[in-house]
Amino acid sequence: MTGASAVEDIVKSEYAHGFTTEIESDTLPPGLDEQVVRAISQRKGEPEFMTAQRLKAYRHWLTLREPEWAAVNYPKIDFQAISYYSAPKRPEDAPKSLDEIDPVLLETYNKLGIPIEEQKALAGIAVDAVFDSVSVATTFRSTLAEAGVIFCSISEALRDYPDLVKPYLGSVVPYTDNFYACLNAAVFSDGTFVYVPKGVRCPMELSTYFRINARNTGQFERTLIVAEAGSYVSYLEGCTAPQRDENQLHAAVVELIAMDDAEIKYSTVQNWYPGDERGVGGIYNFVTKRGDCRGARSKISWTQVETGSAITWKYPSCILRGDEAVGEFYSVAVTKGRQQADTGTKMIHLGKNTRSTIVSKGISAGEGQQTYRGLVRIGRRAEGARNHTQCDSLLIGDRCSANTVPYIEVKNPSAKMEHEATTSKISDDQLFYCRSRGLTEEDAVSMIVNGFCKEVFNELPMEFAVEAQKLLSISLEGAVG
Amino acid sequence: MLSVTGLRATVGDKEILKGLDLKVGPGEIHAIMGPNGSGKSTLSHVLSGRDGYTVTAGSVLFEGQDLLTLEPEVRAQLGLFLAFQYPVELPGVNNTYFLKAALNSLRKARGEPELDAVSFLRLIKEKLKILHLDDSLLKRAVNAGFSGGEKKRNEIFQMALLEPKLAILDETDSGLDIDALRVVAEGVNALRSPERSMIVVTHYQRLLDYIQPDYVHVLARGRIIRSGGKELALELEEKGYGWIDAELAA
Amino acid sequence: MNAPLHSGLEHWLSAPDDTPAPDWLLEQRRAARVRVSAQPLPHSKEEAWRYTSLKGLLEQDFSAIDEPLDALQAEDLDAVLIAGLDAHRVVLVNGRFAPELSTLDALPAGVRIGGLRDWLDRDPESLRGQLDTARGESGAFFALLNTAGLDDGLVLWLERGTLLERPVELIHLSVELDEPRVAHPRHLVYLEAGAQATLIERYVSLGASLYCTNAVVEVLLGRDAVLKHERLQMESRNAFHLTSLYLVQDANSRYVGVNIGLGARWARTDLNTRFRGEQAECLLHGLYLAGDGQLLDYHLDVEHAVPNCRSEEQFKGLLTGAGRAVFDGRVLVAKHAQKSDAAMSNRNLMLSEQAEIDTKPQLEIYADDVKCSHGTTVGQIEPEMLFYLRSRGIDAARAQRMLCLGFAAEILDQLGAEAVREQVAEAVAQRLG
Repeated sequence: MTGASAVEDIVKSEYAHGFTTEIESDTLPPGLDEQVVRAISQRKGEPEFMTAQRLKAYRHWLTLREPEWAAVNYPKIDFQAISYYSAPKRPEDAPKSLDEIDPVLLETYNKLGIPIEEQKALAGIAVDAVFDSVSVATTFRSTLAEAGVIFCSISEALRDYPDLVKPYLGSVVPYTDNFYACLNAAVFSDGTFVYVPKGVRCPMELSTYFRINARNTGQFERTLIVAEAGSYVSYLEGCTAPQRDENQLHAAVVELIAMDDAEIKYSTVQNWYPGDERGVGGIYNFVTKRGDCRGARSKISWTQVETGSAITWKYPSCILRGDEAVGEFYSVAVTKGRQQADTGTKMIHLGKNTRSTIVSKGISAGEGQQTYRGLVRIGRRAEGARNHTQCDSLLIGDRCSANTVPYIEVKNPSAKMEHEATTSKISDDQLFYCRSRGLTEEDAVSMIVNGFCKEVFNELPMEFAVEAQKLLSISLEGAVG
Repeated sequence: MLSVTGLRATVGDKEILKGLDLKVGPGEIHAIMGPNGSGKSTLSHVLSGRDGYTVTAGSVLFEGQDLLTLEPEVRAQLGLFLAFQYPVELPGVNNTYFLKAALNSLRKARGEPELDAVSFLRLIKEKLKILHLDDSLLKRAVNAGFSGGEKKRNEIFQMALLEPKLAILDETDSGLDIDALRVVAEGVNALRSPERSMIVVTHYQRLLDYIQPDYVHVLARGRIIRSGGKELALELEEKGYGWIDAELAA
Repeated sequence: MNAPLHSGLEHWLSAPDDTPAPDWLLEQRRAARVRVSAQPLPHSKEEAWRYTSLKGLLEQDFSAIDEPLDALQAEDLDAVLIAGLDAHRVVLVNGRFAPELSTLDALPAGVRIGGLRDWLDRDPESLRGQLDTARGESGAFFALLNTAGLDDGLVLWLERGTLLERPVELIHLSVELDEPRVAHPRHLVYLEAGAQATLIERYVSLGASLYCTNAVVEVLLGRDAVLKHERLQMESRNAFHLTSLYLVQDANSRYVGVNIGLGARWARTDLNTRFRGEQAECLLHGLYLAGDGQLLDYHLDVEHAVPNCRSEEQFKGLLTGAGRAVFDGRVLVAKHAQKSDAAMSNRNLMLSEQAEIDTKPQLEIYADDVKCSHGTTVGQIEPEMLFYLRSRGIDAARAQRMLCLGFAAEILDQLGAEAVREQVAEAVAQRLG
């Protein structure tokens, strides 16, 4: 069997996006106390209520303990060794267009193989590129402004539209939610704000590239998307990070709010640095993502392709509050080398005739460890709720692991829910069949794995689907014995 | 026997039957033909009392009794039988047990004593022969894992056992190959009697080659637009259903 | 001298020297008591107790049974016997072996059946290395309590190659006493290599008794051994019921378990199985019916510790009234346990407005060449099915009952003896009203 050698090759396939960009940063010294929290708020010129909210969150955070229930192992994080703010020099001089962007940064994107210009040209995507923590470029503003869509950094939103942001920020993920969300509420650096007014179909796909660069800098993104009644928006998020030799913490919070008949589609391709062969370095990706289907017939759809990070801890969720609301979760997660992922979703059915779909595809190779952890809860008043869950794991090599931990709680007997899960390896028969038709083993594996993930890729916007497939192929590169 | 007058029925907001009239006398066989979506299955379901249909106007009298207010099981006890187009599978529900429960409930309603196990088994074996069914069928769960043909034969077998006064055969020919069709039709013909009426609902004329109707009705857009003898079926076969639109438009 | 027990459990254990026991066993009991005292009470923050509260149990203030109940006559037993079941019968009354009610004549050679207490009195050394070994290092709270309070129970021991044709029926009969009592029966089933047997383990009561059963069943299957194990929990609706099964299987052995749960106000069942040799097979079937005021909680822990074993877990639930059920199934495939095959399913039928179900089927897999799956459904009776039956003249209530029994048939069919199958089906039908 060539499987063993194929595994070796997968394990050895190096992180294609490993490099560091030299850019001067305006960075706070490591450590966290009230002074640091105030300093962050001050530097960003935030309104007073925000400073107060950050402090409240910080004080609450001090009372919390780091969660231990996820099936992931890592050395204890020293939260005093992390720097909580890093911005490109002179943030007030942040460039207004791509021309003003530091050519070194542009080259960084080029090295990633996803140059902004190409992306722009590709499908008219507005790109709000986040380099470290502060937004440095926003394009297509005018087109969006015409439609009445607000698409800007969260710092900007807090300055320019404080009354619009205030009632929503923290309304889906309150600072009391969990340890990392609380930390984020205290120290969040920047992120994205999207507001789609009533009845507006956002004229383009919105996209942000997140990157982590500065040494020892935690990144605490905050994203808030509000879709008013009858509106539609598709948001794409992609991440890569340069090679690092120390662990980096990333604790983002994403909040989505959909009113009556509104739809939000949130897609993620995550390819942060996973650490080296021995598991050194790599990003800790502890993210809280939650969507609130507040309105009747609203819909929130999460699609994610997770191939990076040393540790992923994330459960994009939907609260199906409005009657006939729809929640969806489509996920492909790859763990190899020493990567660990504990990921899944929560579907909380509260409204009548709410529906949810969960499709999770996990691929574990090398010594990768992966856990699907999902919750489907049908509330007492959620008459006529429906859920379908399909949860498949593919194992490559005999040193990896795959766990499936679904929680299904039904308090309304009119609920119909189906959950199916399988765990298997690529069968020798499938491999042999492909090879007997002339495919190399590597192509065969790639083809079979892509087929395994197809249901999820189908949910991605076209440009992203192509990138996701490319990422998956890179992840499985060298799978030939 | 059966008298349907001005029957209107809706599914959700959509009106399917729009004032349907039909009279079936004892021993008569009526064929109801019509294109897809004309309301054939709705008629079968409304007559047998299936949920999901709202009767907004009209009446259905069965031997003088108002059928529409009755529960489905009471209709069956009165002697109404529907042979389903798509018989549902009942995993785990043993066929013999099911048949016995059904037969005895009908007997009880008629004030007859329940059959003991021996006479029941004798009766059932006799009826199985009519449909060329194997008695291994009795050990299986109702319709579970049956082929399409087996399901349809099982429906007619139940009809033979329950001996209804009025049987509605809802597209019994759909999905049957010619041999299976012949067996089913033979079964039906064996059950013809002066006391038993039948409504044969079908899309195709071919079933009527085997089961000769006394009357043929054309159902279109929720109403019977033409009635005639069996020659009407042949006419339909020749002309198809296309002419209906022309006629209705006129 | 004795470590103090938790509030609400103070009287769960009688003085440890009350039972005849060799030193090694006394030591085991003492260690268990120390360990259980040092542990916190199970609480909802623990995964294993996430959905099940001990509140009702602790409120009862149960105390350990100290005296055997001699007052029962053979006639009293008639009410709980299954007509037509031909079996070697072992009767325990309130956790104590009752030889006068048991029928253990005509045992074939190689079969030893007896009360644990007697056995410990006569031949304690034979149980050394067998008794309380399957449990391993488990820190499960109530199994530890059972060990600490270990007193009497069944020992079923088949020597190498012995085939026991008639089933062994273990009747665990409970009767309410002056105050709420708890019994800690401990059963040991040991089938040496190639032995085969059927054990029907029944939990029943006289009348609507209030009591608590905290049982532990240990099953050791030698190479090629085969055990059919039917467990019928039909306790009084006022009773509390806890059982833990610990099963260890050697190579090529086969275990078929059928767990029926109909009784008790509050019942918790833990099934722990472990493959120790390859090519072994373990089938766990279950049917539970929870109605008004009932909580039935099932936990499965199936460990594929070695390669080439197969397990199948199939549990079905019917929920009526304000009934609640919990299913928490875990299949673990250890590193190197290649070619493991595991299929778990949990299907639930909700029959009322107030019923609740929490289900959590887990796979934990550390080997790649495996075939593992699980499926869970929660749903209602299909209206088409109901209509079909009604269109044949069967009234709605009866049609619903027929469909529920049809749903349950897959599990009921696993019960080997027709008499048992009929009795359980009858009980299910009765509960469905």
